[in-house]
Amino acid sequence: MSSWRNLVLRIGEKCPDYGGNDDFKDHIETCFGAVRREFEYSEDDILEFLLQCAEQLPHKIPLYGTLVGLLNLENEDFVTKVVENTQANLQAALDSGNCDRIRVLMRFLTGLMCSKVLQPSSLVVLFETLLSSAATTVDDDKGNPSWQARADFYITCILSCLPWGGGELVEQVPEEIERVMAGIQAYMSIRRHVSDTGFSVFEYIDESNQSDNEKDFLEDLWIRIQDLSNNGWKLDSVPRPHLSFEAQLVAVKSHDFGPISCPDHSDPPTALSGIAFGRQKHEAESKYPQRIRRLNIFPSSKYEDVQSIDRFVVEEYLLDVMLFLNGCRKECASYMVGLPVSFRYEYLMAETIFSQLLLLPQPPFKPMYYTLVIIDLCKALPGAFPAVVAGAVRALFDKIADLDMECRTRLILWFSHHLSNFQFIWPWEEWAHVLDLPKWDPQRVFVQEILEREVRLSYWDKIKQSIESAPALEELLPPKGTPNFKYSSEDGGKTEHALSSELIGMVKGRLSSREIVSWVEDSVLAVHGLDITLGVVVQTLLNIGSKSFTHLITVLERYGQVISRICSDQDKQVMLISEVSSFWRNNAQMTAIAIDRMMGYRLISNLAIVRWVFSPSNVDQFHISDRPWEILRNAVNKTYNRISDLRKEMSSLKRSVLSAEESASKARAELSAAESKLTLMDGEPVLGENPVRMKRLKSQVDKANEEEVSVRESLEAKEALFAKAVDEIEALFISLYKSFSNVLVEPLRDAFKDGMLRRTDAADEMPIDDEDSSAMELDKESEKSKKSHSNGDRSGNDYTVGEKEQWCLSTLGYVKAFTRQYASEIWPHVEKLDADVLSKDVHPLFLKAFYAGLRRPMSDLV
Amino acid sequence: MALLFKDPSKLSAYRDRRFPGTQEEFDEVLQNSTTVYVGNMSFYTTEEQVYELFSRAGELKKIVMGLDKNTKTPCGFCFLMYYSREDAEDSVKYISGTILDDRPIRVDFDWGFQEGRQWGRGRSGGQVRDEYRTDYDPGRGGYGKLVQRELESQRQLVDYGAGSLGSFQPVMPPPYGRHGGNHYHGGSHRHGRDYNRKRYREDDNREPDISKRSPNYDSRRNSDRDSRPEKNPRFRESGDSDEEEEDDGKQHR
Repeated sequence: MSSWRNLVLRIGEKCPDYGGNDDFKDHIETCFGAVRREFEYSEDDILEFLLQCAEQLPHKIPLYGTLVGLLNLENEDFVTKVVENTQANLQAALDSGNCDRIRVLMRFLTGLMCSKVLQPSSLVVLFETLLSSAATTVDDDKGNPSWQARADFYITCILSCLPWGGGELVEQVPEEIERVMAGIQAYMSIRRHVSDTGFSVFEYIDESNQSDNEKDFLEDLWIRIQDLSNNGWKLDSVPRPHLSFEAQLVAVKSHDFGPISCPDHSDPPTALSGIAFGRQKHEAESKYPQRIRRLNIFPSSKYEDVQSIDRFVVEEYLLDVMLFLNGCRKECASYMVGLPVSFRYEYLMAETIFSQLLLLPQPPFKPMYYTLVIIDLCKALPGAFPAVVAGAVRALFDKIADLDMECRTRLILWFSHHLSNFQFIWPWEEWAHVLDLPKWDPQRVFVQEILEREVRLSYWDKIKQSIESAPALEELLPPKGTPNFKYSSEDGGKTEHALSSELIGMVKGRLSSREIVSWVEDSVLAVHGLDITLGVVVQTLLNIGSKSFTHLITVLERYGQVISRICSDQDKQVMLISEVSSFWRNNAQMTAIAIDRMMGYRLISNLAIVRWVFSPSNVDQFHISDRPWEILRNAVNKTYNRISDLRKEMSSLKRSVLSAEESASKARAELSAAESKLTLMDGEPVLGENPVRMKRLKSQVDKANEEEVSVRESLEAKEALFAKAVDEIEALFISLYKSFSNVLVEPLRDAFKDGMLRRTDAADEMPIDDEDSSAMELDKESEKSKKSHSNGDRSGNDYTVGEKEQWCLSTLGYVKAFTRQYASEIWPHVEKLDADVLSKDVHPLFLKAFYAGLRRPMSDLV
Repeated sequence: MALLFKDPSKLSAYRDRRFPGTQEEFDEVLQNSTTVYVGNMSFYTTEEQVYELFSRAGELKKIVMGLDKNTKTPCGFCFLMYYSREDAEDSVKYISGTILDDRPIRVDFDWGFQEGRQWGRGRSGGQVRDEYRTDYDPGRGGYGKLVQRELESQRQLVDYGAGSLGSFQPVMPPPYGRHGGNHYHGGSHRHGRDYNRKRYREDDNREPDISKRSPNYDSRRNSDRDSRPEKNPRFRESGDSDEEEEDDGKQHR
């Protein structure tokens, strides 16, 4: 006999707890029986656990709703508590802006309505509350349209309930629901269309108005819901177990739902455009992010038998499972493959996961999580899923030139990692043709970067072996990553070689850093000058630390001072980085690690890194290699990590200050209460309590005051550090964007004379070339539906962008990617950036990329 | 999240018996530690491979490779220090059980690295698990240490008669020419890292499940190359800087 807990948890699953049977009606009856027997012993536990299950396994809400409906027959008080708890939780979620909880609890309430636990009119009141809050927000006069993201989210929540209970609502309260629908229609007419600019995975820089013609997420959902309504609210993806119990359920009392309120919107900015508006809009969009952006990478024929609303529901299921079962590999995979729907959805599942992996500005979890999900699904569905994943890779590969730069990086990291979990097996011969393409071609660069990452995860010979089916691809493998030590022999210069050997001897002899510094100053720098000194010291130390990551760290910790003594200013730090890059020129990973660690030990500043990355030899690589970008990403990321660590430390210190204040004032209050007390001393009334206690209280006050002062002081110290970090990051952004602007200005002028990006390919209008269809896993329905066109369908071979144009496209892509990733940090400095960088002679396409990254309307440009 | 299927207070099934404290203190430390333990690694896996994989969960502060007490070569585990707790949690969640260098690795919270913990605790210098293992695991030096010793003694017996029966001994064509095994680290390739360090491992077709022993491994039981652990080609013999421990408290970001 399974425990009631297991039965509640596993309801609806084909599992031993239910004897392997999968009839929902049986499950509900069995579970109901077990829970009913347990009531008198553990009612509170049942309440808590049931609510937890409904929230964390929302794809089973219809089952939990029905179960609560049956419990309502037995124990109305218990169900009152279910409703009250849910209401309180929903209110708390609305107040704190916990999107996932709001959405799921509303679905649960819908489930309760279906099983007659909740009065339909109560649900309608909730809808109307959200609707009115949303309508107010987008109102120019009364509200704050910069917060439209929240308003849209509320409407999305209402619409998302309808697949689960639209039919029931229409049946029971037709007029009210009609009113809600009309309200939504009205909302849709006053809200602004949300442009996907900056966040779309596929980018059409030359089709700038495209995204405005497309439906945004809410418009699309609204159409799906209207279709559902026109279809009599019939859909395949939502089970309706309450129907089997209708005769019993009608007999019970429906509960009311207390009032819910939506939080007020913040004060609107003074103007409807401009920086203040942009900042608020950014904040709103970060707090109420769009959950999914559909990718549409597979031909639409893969879904033709799936109704548009079913697609939405299955996406919700999958996203919820990935959200709530993050970290539970087994359960996550088994729920994802076992959704309660009657149609196959492997393609939909793959597309949904890839849409998360590539979601901009960032997915809800680290990209690595989706790697794990895909690995586990490949194992759970070995016959079906790997081929679908391969199909997705091919489809994305075909469109790689249009893929956002950050998405390309994520895809490279994912794919290399994925292959490392499957013995690096991939039909590389399919991609051997990239060798015929110029070295800057996005497909070629993509293959080269995957191989680079594979080698890092494994080793050169192994990867060489894995491309056996296309041995020519060896050309794209990185060099074997050995160091390039200039002074291993006298070829690098006799003097240098001798000095280097001397230094090696000193390190072996364990001379202290100070002794080496004085050797360097007296016998090297004074005699041979800076260039030789820097070369010898840096190369030699790097060589001593070249054996592993730990060796490098050890050398830097022990002799970092020697380097910092030589490289005291930015110019010299740039030389230092060049030396590192020359030493590790065969090994991109070690170059990046060494520079990163040197920044960690503050031997080099982020500004020096930016300057080096934008030096001519690197700029030439921008469209060919990830190498400079990886180093730049690390530098910006480290700066960002520093500032966010400080933020966290400050907020925890602020809490300590509050609690110190509290205990100090409590101690003072206790003391003054004691002081004002009259005590009889030798028969005379004296002010104050007995001296021992008074003394103790006084010392307590002193201690608490001291504590308060000391926490305050540490907070002030942190705040000073933080102010410095803010200045640092501002200086970094100014330097970064100035550098971008400088390197872009001429190439853009040359490549795009009319100021607009035009590609020289008429190929968009040509049918897709089908020649390698044997290799394709995907069905080759190459007729181009409107849908797939909107996501681009450039086939691999018609890419005819010149080198300079490609350089511009790649670099602009990175401008956008950096801006988007650090938008929250950039917004506070926008005025300064506008004044220092953007006001001068900058190219409109550069501006456009920057604005897109911030999602700042181009209309802000004056 | 995902509390339904996990007991958040049970972070690791493994309890380090060298931990100086109670179970409660141990649990407490695990809840806050930013160090993870990585197990079931190949002896050949480099720090740079570890770095590439684990830095995808977040910025790494430090890597400490587990070493064989006697040979000072990697013996299949390491400690990783992250800067943030969240990143350490993600590495446990997302990397444990996935493949690194063709092996399913294990990632667990650890109570924090201390000097001395980098050495294997097995009698023969490596990890205890490699002491008693009876399977042939080319990524971890072949057979377990006890089995190796057993084979060693058998090999001597066989060698005894090899003078006259030598030609009888079926000489297996070396599937991974052992001649490289002990010599190439001193050759022209100064640095082992990218040399064909695993060319000699016959592990390309091996199932991830390392506990299965395939029959052809058995058939080579008496071939002498299996009875001696290969010298790890990635140990850089001139390495001189592992022994000193740095101050962990410094935050270098």
